Amino acid sequence: MKLTDREENGVIILEPNGKIMGGPDASLLHDKLYEFIDQDKKKVVVDLSGVDWMNSTGLGILISSYTTLRNNGGKLKLANVTEKIRSLLVITKLEPVFESYDTIADAVKSFDE
Amino acid sequence: MTFELIQSILYFLAGGFLIFLAVTIARDNLNNRLNRTFGAALLFAGIGPLCMAFGLLIDPATALVVNFKGSTTYNLHYIWEFFFPLLLLFSWIFPEDRLKKFKYSRIRYFIFIPQLMHLIILLFGINFITFLNSMQISSGAEGFSALILKPFSMLIGIMTLFIGFIINSHALIFSTFNIFFILVTIYFLESGKKLVSNPRIITQTKVINWAIRSSLGTYIVATIGSALFPTYFTETISSLLIIAAVLSGTSLLVYVTLRYQFLDVRLAFRQSFVYSITSAFFVGLYVVLFLQTQEFFVPIFGEKANIINYVIIGLLLLLFQPINNWIDEFTRSIFMRTQTDHRNVIERFSRQVISLFDPIKLRQIIEETLKTTLLVEHIYFVLYDDILNEYVLYLNREHTQKIVLSRDDILLRGINQLDSPTFYQSLGDYTQNSDLANELEAYQIKIILPMKDSEHLLGFLALTSKAAGYNYSAEDLNLLGVLSNQMVSALTNARLYVDSLERMRLQEEVSMAREIQLNLLPSSPPLHPCMEISAHSTPSRTIGGDFYDFVYKDKHNLGICIADASGKGMPAALMIAQTQAILKSEVNNGTPIDMMLRNMNKQLVESSSSEKYVTLFYGELNTEKGYFHFSNAGHNYPLLVRANGDKELLKTGGPIIGALPDMSYQSETVKLFKDDTLFFFTDGLSEAMNEQEVEYSEERIHEFVTINKTKAPGELIDSILKDVRVHDTTYPPRDDTTIVSIKIRNGFANG
Repeated sequence: MKLTDREENGVIILEPNGKIMGGPDASLLHDKLYEFIDQDKKKVVVDLSGVDWMNSTGLGILISSYTTLRNNGGKLKLANVTEKIRSLLVITKLEPVFESYDTIADAVKSFDE
Repeated sequence: MTFELIQSILYFLAGGFLIFLAVTIARDNLNNRLNRTFGAALLFAGIGPLCMAFGLLIDPATALVVNFKGSTTYNLHYIWEFFFPLLLLFSWIFPEDRLKKFKYSRIRYFIFIPQLMHLIILLFGINFITFLNSMQISSGAEGFSALILKPFSMLIGIMTLFIGFIINSHALIFSTFNIFFILVTIYFLESGKKLVSNPRIITQTKVINWAIRSSLGTYIVATIGSALFPTYFTETISSLLIIAAVLSGTSLLVYVTLRYQFLDVRLAFRQSFVYSITSAFFVGLYVVLFLQTQEFFVPIFGEKANIINYVIIGLLLLLFQPINNWIDEFTRSIFMRTQTDHRNVIERFSRQVISLFDPIKLRQIIEETLKTTLLVEHIYFVLYDDILNEYVLYLNREHTQKIVLSRDDILLRGINQLDSPTFYQSLGDYTQNSDLANELEAYQIKIILPMKDSEHLLGFLALTSKAAGYNYSAEDLNLLGVLSNQMVSALTNARLYVDSLERMRLQEEVSMAREIQLNLLPSSPPLHPCMEISAHSTPSRTIGGDFYDFVYKDKHNLGICIADASGKGMPAALMIAQTQAILKSEVNNGTPIDMMLRNMNKQLVESSSSEKYVTLFYGELNTEKGYFHFSNAGHNYPLLVRANGDKELLKTGGPIIGALPDMSYQSETVKLFKDDTLFFFTDGLSEAMNEQEVEYSEERIHEFVTINKTKAPGELIDSILKDVRVHDTTYPPRDDTTIVSIKIRNGFANG
């Protein structure tokens, strides 16, 4: 998994690319998140358009990122969730937990509401 | 006449042998004080018998007719007594050089005084008495000298008497001195023995001491005996006894000294023997040449052209030097002392370490080898510690005292660049401003022996000086270099072995965990007249993160559970064990299903981090009425295939458990009829991938089960596993795979 990040209207957009499989991916994402939390940037959108597959550990990473942000008074939202991952979220019934949006713009905008 | 000849030959052989030993000892290393001292002692011991031999040979007539005892040649043989002070000096150097620490070490020259006095008195005493007597006689006359000397006449008389007494009983007096010297020598050897710890050196000292004691016994019998009972101990017998004592004692001394300094004493002897013989041959050749050329030059330059002789001698000496070196090299090459000895040590060392995998034991053998072959006094190990990721200096054998070294230490960096054994002193600038250098200097380290594999410095040995003050030779450094290579491979082997042991231990633990896990799974599915149940579980590793269970909540309600923990291996297995335990207690408490999952979620959230979770399906089958009441916590939807082929997916429930707090769960009830098939599975089955990364997929599972719905559960499981394995040939499967299948055989009694 590769991870890039950018900022848009005070919202951090994380763009993982490839498969989220756990192992080094977990620490990569967590380190990034803590970096932003330290800078008091706690509105995060994860753009999943580049993630074609996620195993159970990968989902675990996403969940813990979500809780980390929430426990620090922030919020993690999803954008561009692929079909494969959506079905995973459906089966695990986590769809209502993660707010997910069709586009990044929608996700960013939702923080203003 | 014949007796004198045999006697002189005996003297000659004894003297020659002692001088030969002196050469052998000195030739090993003349820079070494011990070698010098002991070599000199042997040389003087050899000169005595040689003087006797020459005295008898050169002037047999004197020996027989005139009083040989009084001749200068005879008296000169007492020069051998310098052997005693030199032996005493030896005991100050061996086994520990105590002269170095002794502030007034120059005092050692004074110990030669008694023997010097003895020689002077014997050589000049008679003349002196004659001189003194002439003074006495002339004192009767009047004159200036008599005037001055008169007051001293009394003193001169006493001196004459005193010297006369000494000359008459010199043998007894100076033998006592010599015996006293030997006693002191024995005392110093004994006290020196206590200063060393090397067991081998202690044994050597013991042997030397016993050799000296036995020789002392013979010497006392010979000297005191001949002085007290001159009739029984003739001069010849007594001197032969002394020679026997000196020969036996010194030979033993030489043997142990060589034995413990050299690696192979026989070679050293053989080499010296050849060297001495060839040298003697060449000296003889030069003498003959010299005489010949002298005869050749005399007619030209006349009888008194001595200058020519000196020129020729000078030329011959000049020529002798390269030939001398050549002989040296030649004898060395014949006996290959270095290679043979070192090869033995290396062979023995590798034999010892080849089957050794305990690092501590290995270090002990390294220490043992270096101490016995090179007589290194102390060895300190610096080794890289895999756990600390630092180099550690071990101060004792048991490795209980240690110092962790700083990676940035300048000396450590310097040593990292070394490829071969190096003198500590030559590390120069690296030893400035280094904590490690301070530490090593406190232990008086002389040699650094790096142990390097192809790229890494595994550590190094820090060697102190050799026992008894021997110096490290170039040969020693070569040997150390080869040994260090052996150590590197031995250490690497030992490390690999420890690693593999650790792996084996872990493997064993995992196998035990696997056994525990297998025991947690139902040994066989419950039997019920209305239905047939079958289950299967294959972990992707030795232990897995899936589980299934059947628990009767009460007489008519059978709890059925299938679950999958996120991740694989040990962490997943632990999570599963915990889930299973909570499930069992909740089922036994009779908690309603929705509450049950809520409680399980709460407990797992509290006891695990949020990236760890379990997907779990739990249902209760009422065996009286055929109701199946269930809740699905984020698990792959189980499939219900009706007899007519209709499918239902058991979705109702809530999110996965263990990840997020305060989750709530719904439950649903379906009614089961005859020939219905319930099919539960984990994602290991649905996500089995072929080479094109295409999953087996839930749809295909649904299809397969629907087509094969008439099959018995066991058969159904076997056939779908076979089908999946055609799709994904990886075995064991990439992910834990678990299947539970239930077939309703008969309608329920009250259904």
